[in-house]
Amino acid sequence: MEQEKVEVLKGTLDMLILKVVAFGPIHGYAISQRIQQISRDFFQVPEGSLYPALHRLEDRGWLQAKWEETETGRDAKFYSLTRAGRKRLSAEMDNWERLSEAVGLILSAAE
Amino acid sequence: MTGWLARLLHSRRTEKELDAELRFHLEQRMKGYIASGLPPAEAQRRANLRFGGLEQVKEICRESRFEHYIHDFLRDIQYAFRSLIKDRRFAFVAVFALALGIGASTVMFSVLYNVVVDPFPYRDFQHMVVIDLHDLAAPPRDIARYHYTIPEFLAIRDQNRAFEDITGNYQLDVLYSDGKGTRRFLGCYVTTNSFSFSGVLPLLGRYFGPGDGKPGTPYVFMMNYPLWQTEFHGDPKILGKTFFLNGKPRTLIGIMPRRFNGCGSSLWFPLDLSPGADSTIFPVKDPDVIWACARLRKGVSLHAAAADVDAILHRMAQANPGELYPKQFTIVARTLLDFVVGDFSRVLYVLLAAVSMLLLIACGNVANLLLARATVREREIAVRASLGASRGRLIRQLLVESVMLAGASCLTGCLLAYFGLKGLVAIIPRGQIADVFGGRIPEETVIGLNPAVLLFALAVAALTTVVCGLAPALHAVRGNLPLRMFGNGKGAGRGIQHGKLRSALVISEVALSIVLLTGTGLLMRSFFALTHVELGFNPARTLYAWVSTEEHGSNETALMKKLFYEQVLQRVKGIPGVINATISISTPPLGWAGSDIVVAGKRVTHHSTVDLCSETYFQTLGMRLLRGRLLSQSDIDSARLVTVVNEAFVRAYFANEDALGQKIKFNVFDQLPETPHDAYFQIVGVVSNFKNRRLLDPPAPEAFVPHSITEFGERTILATTAVDPKSLLPSVQREIWAVDPSAAVTHSGSIQDFLAEFAYTMPQFGVIATSTFAGTGLALVLVGIFSVMAYTVALQTHQIGLRMALGAQRRDVVAMILGQGLRLISAGVLIGVLASLGLTRFLASQISGVSVTDPLTFCAVVTLFFAVGLAACLLPARRAARFDPLVALRYE
Repeated sequence: MEQEKVEVLKGTLDMLILKVVAFGPIHGYAISQRIQQISRDFFQVPEGSLYPALHRLEDRGWLQAKWEETETGRDAKFYSLTRAGRKRLSAEMDNWERLSEAVGLILSAAE
Repeated sequence: MTGWLARLLHSRRTEKELDAELRFHLEQRMKGYIASGLPPAEAQRRANLRFGGLEQVKEICRESRFEHYIHDFLRDIQYAFRSLIKDRRFAFVAVFALALGIGASTVMFSVLYNVVVDPFPYRDFQHMVVIDLHDLAAPPRDIARYHYTIPEFLAIRDQNRAFEDITGNYQLDVLYSDGKGTRRFLGCYVTTNSFSFSGVLPLLGRYFGPGDGKPGTPYVFMMNYPLWQTEFHGDPKILGKTFFLNGKPRTLIGIMPRRFNGCGSSLWFPLDLSPGADSTIFPVKDPDVIWACARLRKGVSLHAAAADVDAILHRMAQANPGELYPKQFTIVARTLLDFVVGDFSRVLYVLLAAVSMLLLIACGNVANLLLARATVREREIAVRASLGASRGRLIRQLLVESVMLAGASCLTGCLLAYFGLKGLVAIIPRGQIADVFGGRIPEETVIGLNPAVLLFALAVAALTTVVCGLAPALHAVRGNLPLRMFGNGKGAGRGIQHGKLRSALVISEVALSIVLLTGTGLLMRSFFALTHVELGFNPARTLYAWVSTEEHGSNETALMKKLFYEQVLQRVKGIPGVINATISISTPPLGWAGSDIVVAGKRVTHHSTVDLCSETYFQTLGMRLLRGRLLSQSDIDSARLVTVVNEAFVRAYFANEDALGQKIKFNVFDQLPETPHDAYFQIVGVVSNFKNRRLLDPPAPEAFVPHSITEFGERTILATTAVDPKSLLPSVQREIWAVDPSAAVTHSGSIQDFLAEFAYTMPQFGVIATSTFAGTGLALVLVGIFSVMAYTVALQTHQIGLRMALGAQRRDVVAMILGQGLRLISAGVLIGVLASLGLTRFLASQISGVSVTDPLTFCAVVTLFFAVGLAACLLPARRAARFDPLVALRYE
């Protein structure tokens, strides 16, 4: 079944990145693949915005980066979560939960 | 945030990493596509397509990092630097003007800050107060006294509810004999709580404790830093040694640090107030000698404290009515700062106002220059705008330029301030004589550039940036920017608007400068009047020497004192270079004591200054005899009760009758010990008037009596000389010691120096400071007028060329340009003169001997300004006249 691919909602990309990075050190390409996989190909990560987002998150001190070898022996920039990043992630998740709950309430009331 | 710094410093590596990271992504994606069966070329195309432009993504990545702002900023600075270098002359003039403004205001602010905010080393000095007693019948500015008797002091100390603590002290001369001769130092008896009250710890040893000074305890004393340095070369071993001071052995227990000037004395003795203590033995019973300084309790106002003391002293006055208390009096409490600095802070505020005007002029100048520059750069700005620079970015760019100008000016200004302060501190009034006669800067005040002052300089620089930079920047980016690209950079329509703003700036600069110049002119005129007061004798060729003989040691009588001075006088007259010499109790042009006088057979009392002198007094000081006779040798020898009065005395009290032969009594003598009490003096002569109060006040009634009637008080030797009096001082000292080795000269010099010290320093300081500021302001305005006129001429090149082509002569062109300049100057001068008329009255307290609307000053300033202003227009006008019409028309 061919599913329509949706661009990541504005404002949620940061949260998704943080969540994916929370599993362990990971490079940019893998992040985009992982988001796509986990969402069962629902989301397509806009690659043009992925890297600026990564750099911004690193600049804020939520991610830290390190150059390491991949399994195939190539050098790649691996991102991992900082302590501040972990806090940020849980705060964003809380926000998201409340937001989706509120949206759900409104939508169910409309019936 | 340390990451951005590292990235900034290793920007090439950062770039490489960014590139590698993105390329890695593209390769992975490509591999993915190839794995799914696409040919490599197609895989690469798809990967690139999905990713978007590599360079674009890179740019967004860069912008999402903090160092991006710094990069931009650095680029702005680079750009600004390049454009300022390109226009060096402009940059130099702007920095010069601003630096002068910032430097001058920083200097004035440091003086004010150090004098008003941080003058004393004392703990909590803001709450230290002194107490004045005012006679309600006298003018409000005259203080009847601020010294109290010991019973008064004790009453205030024990009964007040306003003070946390109170200290008292009185000064005395300390004669110190070290075998070579006797010298005098200024000493002070201080209550033993004085040092803990001040909160300043001794540099060496200890300060007085409650036990010191009590009868039966060993005599102790403390020393100040300068005396320790000059007399004992800072030798710490003198602590604990015993010195013979005023004939008694005293042990040195402590030395105070350099920044401590308690009572302006070199030596301190403990003051014990119990009856019988040697510090409370006076030649007169309970004289008013104690100067009190108290610390207000928390939350008590000056007013409440004054009321408290007022009640106590009124009770005292009721219990012991007498000469000590005027019929109606009131108490006023002042802060210590007010007491010491007094009027001088007003001088400082006037100067600060002057300097702010200077700063405004400088700002006006720079704003004008920037505005002219912005007009010329319209095209460049338009190009940048059409290439995509946002309005905000352009404003930032222009502001960076002003910030750089301000930064450079701030640095230069601080350097100027550093040297300016050195110069200013050298002419600031300090010292003991100034102390007696009014405002000055406390000895302990350290004037320098401190963090607060530098912060002020920075704030001024920031403010000038906004004032000078923002307006032209906003002006420059108005309207449809890209469209302006087609203009010629000197847009005709907008030029007029700019022109109006520029003219307004020049007019206000001129007006400010006029205000500064008239203020300075008035201060100068006043100072000239002060220094050219006709004294009747030549102060530069008159020597004075205050002589002090040991007070408590010898039982001297009036006769002995007379003999001593007679011998000294004979010897002084014998010194080569001395023309004439005399003895007096005062130093002209200040008379000695004021006294109520009673005329025999009349019921009214008058008031007059009274002076003690010897017979040579009148001819030495050049007073003319008008009627009767002068004091004679035999009057002095036999201490006859006769007196010579001045013309003012006769005019005031004997206008309708003959003064000669009248008998008068001086009440002041009744209150002093060892003076003839209830004695009537016969008037034998009238002499011409003579300055005997402040320099500019008319002479007051004055009476001269033979000095031999009393041994009371110290004497002054006055001598007219044929050479510089200062060169004779060692001989005078030698002759005095030859008569009595225990006598000391306490203060000496020429009358000119004496005047300079007590009457000239403050106004002189004001004159030097304001004329420096006004001169600088004038120079700045000159530059302002010149640059605006030069710019106007440049704008009018085409028009001038056209006129000349149509037959206008060079003369006409010059006249046209001069006329334009003249219009600006006239408007500025008119506003300036009006403003000055309104503002100079704030100078009234600093000016004497000349009206604050002195027409001569105003005329001189206006003339000077027109001359200078026209000179500034002349150069651009001549340039305009030299235009070749053909070239001028082709221009553009």
